[in-house]
Amino acid sequence: MSTKHSEAAKRFIANKEQRTWHNETLWLVREKRDRLAMAVPEWEKLRELSSEIKLHTITHLDKYAEQFAQKAEANGVVVHWAKDAKEHNEIVHGILAAHNTKKLVKSKSMLTEECHLNKYLIEQGIDVVETDLGERIIQFMNIPPSHIVMPAIHIKRQEVGKLFEEKLGTETGNSDPTYLTRAARKHLRDQFLSADAGMTGCNFAIAETGDIVVCTNEGNADMGTSFPKVHIVSIGLEKIIPNLNALGVYTRLLARSATGQPSTTYTSHFRKPGEGRELHYVIVDNGRSDIIGNEEHFQTLKCLRCAACMNTCPVYRRSGGYSYTYFIPGPIGINLGMLKSPQQYADNVSACTLCYSCNNVCPAHVNLADQIYRWRQDLDSLGKADPMKKVMSKGLKFLFGLPALYNTTLKFAPLVNHLPRFTVYNGLNAWGEGRELPEFTGDSFTALWKKGKVTKSGKKCSTLKKQKP
Amino acid sequence: MSSKNDILENIKRNIKFTCDLPDISCLKGMEYADKIAQFIEITQGVGGNAYLLKEGEDINDLIKTLYPEAKEIASNLPDITIATRNPDTIDDPHALDGTDLGIIQGEVGVAENGCVWIPQNVRQKAVYFISEYLVIVLDRKNIVHNMHEAYRQIKFSDKYGFGLFISGPSKTADIEQALVMGAHGAKGVTVILK
Repeated sequence: MSTKHSEAAKRFIANKEQRTWHNETLWLVREKRDRLAMAVPEWEKLRELSSEIKLHTITHLDKYAEQFAQKAEANGVVVHWAKDAKEHNEIVHGILAAHNTKKLVKSKSMLTEECHLNKYLIEQGIDVVETDLGERIIQFMNIPPSHIVMPAIHIKRQEVGKLFEEKLGTETGNSDPTYLTRAARKHLRDQFLSADAGMTGCNFAIAETGDIVVCTNEGNADMGTSFPKVHIVSIGLEKIIPNLNALGVYTRLLARSATGQPSTTYTSHFRKPGEGRELHYVIVDNGRSDIIGNEEHFQTLKCLRCAACMNTCPVYRRSGGYSYTYFIPGPIGINLGMLKSPQQYADNVSACTLCYSCNNVCPAHVNLADQIYRWRQDLDSLGKADPMKKVMSKGLKFLFGLPALYNTTLKFAPLVNHLPRFTVYNGLNAWGEGRELPEFTGDSFTALWKKGKVTKSGKKCSTLKKQKP
Repeated sequence: MSSKNDILENIKRNIKFTCDLPDISCLKGMEYADKIAQFIEITQGVGGNAYLLKEGEDINDLIKTLYPEAKEIASNLPDITIATRNPDTIDDPHALDGTDLGIIQGEVGVAENGCVWIPQNVRQKAVYFISEYLVIVLDRKNIVHNMHEAYRQIKFSDKYGFGLFISGPSKTADIEQALVMGAHGAKGVTVILK
């Protein structure tokens, strides 16, 4: 039985050139992250602090959320609370309708993606313009992001060139990234200057001061909020942190982890509405307060959405964002999807080799791989276990319970090496699908041990080459 | 109001244990033997430029040499005599469209990442973003080692409720990860260290 992930991955890897490019490009981002992280002697201490600050905030979130809202209101911000996506979308539309908004410029926000805000607003007749270059490209193509930081990472420059010829009237056949970026700059500048309202997400919400902080490289969040009269901010509850000293920890971790930069170009702190303007915060729950009570999985709330776990994931890099059925792909997406609906998103938990690379790069010490492992243990009770693997597991359990039979079976196992291919790689062997079985050795470990061929020195291990996961 | 109460109540109900806030002040951030040299190097590393103003050197002459083609220059700084528009006296920020060069004041520079703290110090903050190129004037004495120090020092102005760190020019790599300067904001940034 194939999962939806493996089926979709087959389509992605069919284009060998594209697959190789995707894998290698994301690995380069991972390597940049490593160089930057290793240049900070206190890096591991920062990760620990980051995790501890988030754990503290999450376990006092009622207090901090209230403090954040109070401070913001004292600063002249209008604060709204949304229990779910529907309420969020209605609040946003209500604000826009009150200002007779025709055009809204948006900077990238995974929360509005989670709430399907754009679709809702467009149905209400509002012209919604995504302004991050990657987001604008995929909005033109009418497709979702395939990565949470680099949303158009799966699109080739030639495709962007063709798209811009049609949408922006660029030169035929010109797919030079600088030329195309300049064309987008001009097009989006017209949008910024003609919009009635601007909307941003929020990287950090500061309880002590009521500030929201937005980090971008392009400056689109700032362009989008410097001209229109209204600025609306969508804030997931988990974005709240206690104070600016805590923010110092996160601004040092975020860009280094995400793209291997020492900082994003712009780290913008919004505290009060500008002269003659309105600033609205929409604080969104949409399932987050329930996650706090889930002791096995609540650590996902520590996530900074930097995407380091995607960039390092050997499965994500080689199967692409669209192979996952949840809108956030990669290790964090597997977990968030399961928290949203295990029945709907169980296919993704197989998209993991349990290599633990994600755990090792996460700047907030989210135990992503451990959580995926736990979800897998639940698959059977969810009725989502692969029936073929269940049969084989039962057989193996039987075999492991009978040492004599196990040893005899093992003795004859090398015969498999010589079996005709169709008897090993067929529909009955779920583990033989898409991968090669290792060769069975002539002697089992027990046999080698008995012959005294196993040494304790462990010298041989040192010859193992360090491989990328 | 009811959604607020429901959310806060549900959070309270779901909190099963609590964790203490760690002592962030115990963390010693990176420090550099020469903060100014490090700031200049990292600013170049993020695609910008940093220039040490020499004694007796005229800042207006320097900027004219650096940006000879700039015609529309926006600034509210008293030392800047080459400005053609003042973001403090403009009522509608849209009027700043077409600014070739913005010249602004930074307050704190950060040696570890080239960030410069700018508490909104002009009426139209659009000048920070819409200018094709940006010059940030910074006192070299105000460079700190790292972000922890920076967050202990930064202030907002009493007048405006906005502030930001800028580290180099606006950039994007959204087309095939090819780095392009000047996505929406400044295509180039020079920090002049006075």
